[in-house]
Amino acid sequence: MNMLRLKNVTKSFGGQTAVNDVSLMLKGDGITGLVGPNGSGKTTLFHLITGFYTLDRGEIRYADRVISGRQPHTISRMGLVRTFQQTRALSFMSTLDNLLSAAPDQAGERPAHVFLHPVRVKREERKNREKAGKILEILNLGSVADNLAGNLSFGQQKLVELGRVLMARPKMILLDEPTAGINPTLIRQLTEVIRKLNSDGIKIFLIEHNMPFVAEICEEIFVMDSGKLIFHGTPIEARENDRVIDAYLGRENHAA
Amino acid sequence: MIYYLQLGLNGIIAGSTYAMFAVGLTMVYGVFRFINFAHGELIAYGAYLTLLWSQPPFSLPLYLAILPALAITAAIGLAQDRWIFHPLRNSKPITLLIGSIGLSYFLRNGIRIIWGSDLMSYGLESTRGMRFAGLTVTTVQVLMVASAVFFLGLLYVILTRTLLGKSLRAVSDNPELAGVMGINMKKVRLTVWTLASVFAGFGGILLALDTNLEPTMGLTNLIKAFAAVLLGGAGNVWGALFGGLFIGIAENISVAFFSPGYKDFISFSVIILVLLFRPKGIFGILEGVR
Amino acid sequence: MGYLMHIIIIALIYAIFAVSLNIELGFTGLYNFGHVAFFGIGAYTSALLSLAGMPVFLSMACGMAAAAAAGFLLAIPALRLSGDYFGIATLVFAEMVRLFFLNERWLTRGPMGIPGIPRPDCIGAGIASLPKFLLFSGLVAAAVFLIVRRLTTSPFGRVLKVVREDEFVAQALGKNVFSLKVKTVILGSLLAGLAGAMWAHYVTYISPADFTLTETILVLLCVVLGGRGTNWGPVLGAFLVIFSSESVRFLPIPSDLGRFVAPLQGMIYGAVLILIMLKRPGGIIPEHAG
Repeated sequence: MNMLRLKNVTKSFGGQTAVNDVSLMLKGDGITGLVGPNGSGKTTLFHLITGFYTLDRGEIRYADRVISGRQPHTISRMGLVRTFQQTRALSFMSTLDNLLSAAPDQAGERPAHVFLHPVRVKREERKNREKAGKILEILNLGSVADNLAGNLSFGQQKLVELGRVLMARPKMILLDEPTAGINPTLIRQLTEVIRKLNSDGIKIFLIEHNMPFVAEICEEIFVMDSGKLIFHGTPIEARENDRVIDAYLGRENHAA
Repeated sequence: MIYYLQLGLNGIIAGSTYAMFAVGLTMVYGVFRFINFAHGELIAYGAYLTLLWSQPPFSLPLYLAILPALAITAAIGLAQDRWIFHPLRNSKPITLLIGSIGLSYFLRNGIRIIWGSDLMSYGLESTRGMRFAGLTVTTVQVLMVASAVFFLGLLYVILTRTLLGKSLRAVSDNPELAGVMGINMKKVRLTVWTLASVFAGFGGILLALDTNLEPTMGLTNLIKAFAAVLLGGAGNVWGALFGGLFIGIAENISVAFFSPGYKDFISFSVIILVLLFRPKGIFGILEGVR
Repeated sequence: MGYLMHIIIIALIYAIFAVSLNIELGFTGLYNFGHVAFFGIGAYTSALLSLAGMPVFLSMACGMAAAAAAGFLLAIPALRLSGDYFGIATLVFAEMVRLFFLNERWLTRGPMGIPGIPRPDCIGAGIASLPKFLLFSGLVAAAVFLIVRRLTTSPFGRVLKVVREDEFVAQALGKNVFSLKVKTVILGSLLAGLAGAMWAHYVTYISPADFTLTETILVLLCVVLGGRGTNWGPVLGAFLVIFSSESVRFLPIPSDLGRFVAPLQGMIYGAVLILIMLKRPGGIIPEHAG
């Protein structure tokens, strides 16, 4: 089953083409990676998929429904949830509140419901708290539940972001450089969490620069260079592929 | 027909003054990325300080009184930066905006304390207008346009021929890159504030020559300056010039169609329409994320 | 004693006004600098309707509805703008509303204002009615405070803070940011209209001069000083600002210096705004512990 489908997706800024005629298909299972040198358009592609940028040309379908042109929050509620490259933990809220705010379809977020259905709001809040508590335990963040997220370490903040994604009951998660800037122990922990999520039925699509991590966790990868898709296959095949090698190393030769 | 031409001429005269206000405001926005609400008070202080120096105990003739007045106005502009805006440079834009609103209120009330709230004027004898081709214009008005043209021409030279001017444009274009390229940010800062203050102050003097002085003159003209800035594209100096002229002409021609009480509506409408339909302005170049 | 009651009433009304602005500015991060427009719309609507014969409590409700409707109409286009541009747009809107009050004499009697606004029947007019009006304002203010607090401590309040802190995250979490902002503006405008209507029926005479930028700055000061994003902050701010501005009357100032009092206060308020931004942007009551 095709979960995510991009056709001829193109996006330019001013004179620069950031994403150039990219077409790809993602199946609904497994962990897929998106790699490429800096500036190849990976994060832009994520922004396009999740609705934060509008396409210049092309079409994006998720679970066979067109999502290109829709608002980011609509896409998120369809089950396609993302993280950001620079961690965006809500620093002035507690860790617990960070997760609570991620719970979808909260009746309590509608002002009328706060007054008309107080019992239901309270019940939902209680259930969300329980769920958040469990997620915090899985992520080893239970002890810092009431700390302001801004006071956590960088690695912990990344976990908070992941925790938020989990609260949102996603069907597919887009992770933008999940291992950037964190220590190897945390990377181990993260790998286990991601694997578990995948085995629970959540499709994972991630951008990464950490090649060993990609090789270990991804069954298939896409490689981008200068906005174009240049490779699709397994990580091992990628390592032997001339175009991929050229993209990563060719830069240095041309620059000299 | 002559009637409309006269209105148009009046518009150009007013517009050249608005252009003086607008270029300073847009330069500050271009370099520092915030709207200085207190820019209007630079306009007012330029006018009022000239009045101060032209009266006892100094009693300078008007054209000499302008010099110390502009110097002090520039000092006020630099002080604004030194004590308020530079310390706040890393805060959220809202903090700067609120700070500049507070500053504007502070300075405006300062005018009331020093000079009182009544209408004042430079006391020049009203000159008879000269007539040519059926249009009327006074010598003062000719002087206004001429000096505005002179100053704006000077600005052109500064921005395109001097190193400092080019640095200013570079910073306005790309602040991060400019810092890396070794542009002296401190000099740029001082230059921007000095230019903005002098232009605003001189514009205020021109305005006061043609009309009069009152404490809210800064605020009223800030809105017009802001409309001009938005119309031409925030950060675009020549856009601001165009915007100023446009607002001046539009305001004066509108008198033929609407009640004069709604004259200010022109600037308001321009602001609203630009923000709604073309936030980058006519000449602006901004990119947008959703 | 009567004077003390008067100050408290004004403070309570401003507390409602400040709470309403705080919902938008403090909790959601919407820099609505045109909030006074809704205060004015509530005031004028209720005044005109009650003078036409409508019972006062009903006319006040209509004033609230009119303000909320105006808020909705402003929100839809204006909320497409980012932060400080939204601030300017709302400010311009408030000035346009004031111009409307000033120029549409057939409706609002223009600069002469509307005198003789009736008190609610059960309260009555004159000094003797002050305690009743005090009770009335106290009850309304308490009700508003409790209702707003209920909202801000609910998931709705939480999601507003998310919108304030990081709109992108809010969207990524599936929150319809635009819809939330619109709801916030409607709510804030509704309550501002209530405050305005109460004020009109208390002071019994209103004119366009009561709804200027100065009032915007005052209510902004209340919110920013007291502590934005908290429930008690705007209330504290309102009492501090109103008490300090009214208590100045008791200072023994020689009459020939009398004209300096108001502008001096203005300078102090402007300076306080600046200082808060420089030193403690969050205000007196902190939103988060530590």
